[in-house]
Amino acid sequence: MERKNFIRSLMIGAISIPVIIEACKKSGVTDDSVSGSGTAGSTTSTNGTCTVAPTETEGPFPTKSPSSYVRSDITDGRTGYKLAAKITIGNINNSCAALAGAIVDIWHCDADGNYSEYGGSGMQSTNYQSVHFLRGRQITDANGLVTFTSIFPGWYSGRATHIHVHVYSASGTSLSVTQIAFPEGSGSSVALVNGYSKGLNGYTYNNADNVFSDDKTGIEIAAVSGTLAAGFDLTFKVNVRA
Amino acid sequence: MPKKVITICYRKIIDDSNLNYWDKFVHEDSFLEFKMQSQFYNQEEKYTTFAEIMLNVPDADKLHFLVSAAITGYLRQLNGIIPDILDNLGRRFLTFENFKFEIINSDINNIEKHKIAINFFSKPMIWHDSINDFLLVSQQHEVDEDEVFTNLFQLPPFVSIHSIKKST
Repeated sequence: MERKNFIRSLMIGAISIPVIIEACKKSGVTDDSVSGSGTAGSTTSTNGTCTVAPTETEGPFPTKSPSSYVRSDITDGRTGYKLAAKITIGNINNSCAALAGAIVDIWHCDADGNYSEYGGSGMQSTNYQSVHFLRGRQITDANGLVTFTSIFPGWYSGRATHIHVHVYSASGTSLSVTQIAFPEGSGSSVALVNGYSKGLNGYTYNNADNVFSDDKTGIEIAAVSGTLAAGFDLTFKVNVRA
Repeated sequence: MPKKVITICYRKIIDDSNLNYWDKFVHEDSFLEFKMQSQFYNQEEKYTTFAEIMLNVPDADKLHFLVSAAITGYLRQLNGIIPDILDNLGRRFLTFENFKFEIINSDINNIEKHKIAINFFSKPMIWHDSINDFLLVSQQHEVDEDEVFTNLFQLPPFVSIHSIKKST
């Protein structure tokens, strides 16, 4: 036992010597950053710099991490009336039978009508914990179904209440980009939610919406049921050519 | 010298030549996400490069944001510590919550052309003094203390002072 410890202490000594040598070389960090072609004008000379090399325990060791879109609950702390969205994907090339293994992205605005997005100015940064709120990705099950937990979308000027949907094949090839509209009129979810704090003054209804107004048969309108207290359930089917 | 509160930006460039696992995962996953998300802005499949899409499609600059979802899981794995940047004792010492992701170049048919940058923005730090080429900084705390622990470091390439304000 004692001998083992002695050998171990020798090993620690042996490890620390190369570190000292390493410290006077050009840093591995600098090498990483400068390799490749860089961007125009941003690389300054590193000639003669003498910086330290890492001298701490490695880790945490990286593991493969799925896109942060991949989750069923996309609320990310946004408040509003609960909405459970059940979207089924059918294959037009197979009599609209359920399409399993398709990737379904959805995104919609929050109660105030804002999407998760950068503000746009070049210097702006974002907190990495909740940057992609109200955006999600699921893979259809054997019944072609995906389920998302979210909040009832708010609205913004010029558009009726809607949810964006992008359907991909299992390998990520785009199959359909579409939007889900909501039923309107007395007793409907849109009327019950009443535009959250904004009200519905200035609201654009489906028949005036530049995306939904050509949908005379209501094929883009989801079935939505529920109450403010219990939340709403939305069901919708998207048929794609796969 | 009067105390100043600064934030540091480290612009980490990742391309096909990066060898460590974290960088490789970020490179591969952001490329796959770019291939998926760019189809929204390229529905007629007219373009293959990021530059062409940016030049020809309005709103395509949202791709920076949309693709960044592929890498935020990896940012979480860093536990709030900015990678690569060391103080003069050889320790990582910069902490962050904020970032900005950029696609520099890409091509849906060629991962070798895929090149991205992650800008890490440090939490505010107090810049006490400069000693030769080194900055002497410490974490900013709510209350003023008589004695604070400091970090001494040199600004390597791709690291800059992002913001500055006089300490109150």
